[in-house]
Amino acid sequence: MRTLAISILAAGAIAAALPRAAHAVPCDQVPGLANPVYLQVGDTQLALMKRLARALRDSAPRPVSLVFTTSGSCTNIRTIYDRTAIPATTNVQYAPSIAENPSWDPATSPTLTCQVPAGGKVPDVANSALFTSACTTETPPATVRHVQGPVQAYVMAVPKASSQTAITFEEAYFAFGFGMAGMAAPWVDESQLFIRTVTKSTLLAWAANISVPADKWKGVRRDGSPMVVADLESSTSPEKALGILGAEVYDSKRSTLKSLAFQARGQYAAYWPDSTPTAFDKQNVRDGHYTVWSPTIWMDTEAGGAPVNADARYVVDMIAGRSVTPAPAFDMIAIIAAVGLTPDCAMGVKRSFEGGPLSRYQPAESCVCKYESRVAQSNCATCTTTCATGVCRNGFCEVR
Amino acid sequence: MQALHVRKAPKRALLAILSLAFAAACSEDGGARPKDAGIDASGPPDASCFENPQTHAEIINACTTAQKVLKKPNLPLLQSGGALPPLPP
Repeated sequence: MRTLAISILAAGAIAAALPRAAHAVPCDQVPGLANPVYLQVGDTQLALMKRLARALRDSAPRPVSLVFTTSGSCTNIRTIYDRTAIPATTNVQYAPSIAENPSWDPATSPTLTCQVPAGGKVPDVANSALFTSACTTETPPATVRHVQGPVQAYVMAVPKASSQTAITFEEAYFAFGFGMAGMAAPWVDESQLFIRTVTKSTLLAWAANISVPADKWKGVRRDGSPMVVADLESSTSPEKALGILGAEVYDSKRSTLKSLAFQARGQYAAYWPDSTPTAFDKQNVRDGHYTVWSPTIWMDTEAGGAPVNADARYVVDMIAGRSVTPAPAFDMIAIIAAVGLTPDCAMGVKRSFEGGPLSRYQPAESCVCKYESRVAQSNCATCTTTCATGVCRNGFCEVR
Repeated sequence: MQALHVRKAPKRALLAILSLAFAAACSEDGGARPKDAGIDASGPPDASCFENPQTHAEIINACTTAQKVLKKPNLPLLQSGGALPPLPP
């Protein structure tokens, strides 16, 4: 009975998060959906899409309407490389403006839905939540521009009732590479290993970090992150249950799930993405103690060196932390921090391929102080114009 | 220049022991430690860390104030020297 109740609750939670599609109309007939930019993104980026879509619709300097759909990172790369259209009548999502729904909350409210207009639509922007080289080694079309956006961490999550706190590289290798035969107790029940399909960044990123190729993983393959969340939340064997999620997905589910600290190969201890299990500062991602992360890659098309859709370029540059004109009427770093991603300008390490070795990194224009002020407590000096040391930016004395 | 942090090892070991005592006293389940992990005061993890990390191996083992878990799982298939057997076909 308890299992049934949990399942019903989980199904209800998923249903509440799904977009409202009851009266979907063609997107080009939705009143007020100005300057639409179509995006096809990984489902780990949904929280970013919702929050940014809301902000951009009401950004007076340059309003833009994000119209988005989610799919696997590798699928998204193929879509923009091959210029594959999203078929007409496909339901896609957007956020209401403040005028349309002043109480809409990007964290909890469902998106609205419209249909791709007649003729279909090639996405203006595609997203991969990991290095594109993890999906394809082909030379990208010259017409597709790639830029690195915020960093996405990935976690191994267990039900709150599990007593487990950490997993090592070797344990993960045996659990997911061998299943029951791996004898990596307590993770020896393949029906309790909740993983993703082979085009998904969550699986590919973890695969690169535990040396188990994506197609070799043991476990129950799920198409979407919400399914993995529901599997973990409803598991009747919480000690044996283990799933993989994007950190930002997990961050919104901390009341029912726990993430495990991860100990990489050659590492002396296991760490969470954050400085503690309850923090949100991604300190260990930023300084390299937590190794399972990827830069998000954002792709738009251009011709003759100019963007095909100037609004798409505006959005991509904004996500990537580049200066845009006009400046938006909101704080992009705050949005990125709020959804559990880490802006590149707050990183202290970098890598050049999925799961590759880390090296030290100092961004050209640091935003560490600004970022930490949003997710923890910044110890940086504040400023208005100048600093005794460093550079005054966004009200803080950044190192450079 | 690599700065392997060894001089503070006794202090770190003491801190680890104190942390163990604190964890045992304050855990939510009335003092029982997590079944899979613990704090190892004698092994290399707390005896060394890198204060000026440059390489990957140093970066992931750099000195930090972040909370950590020390874990030594029992893995029957792990080969001598920590080598991993090939994955099953």
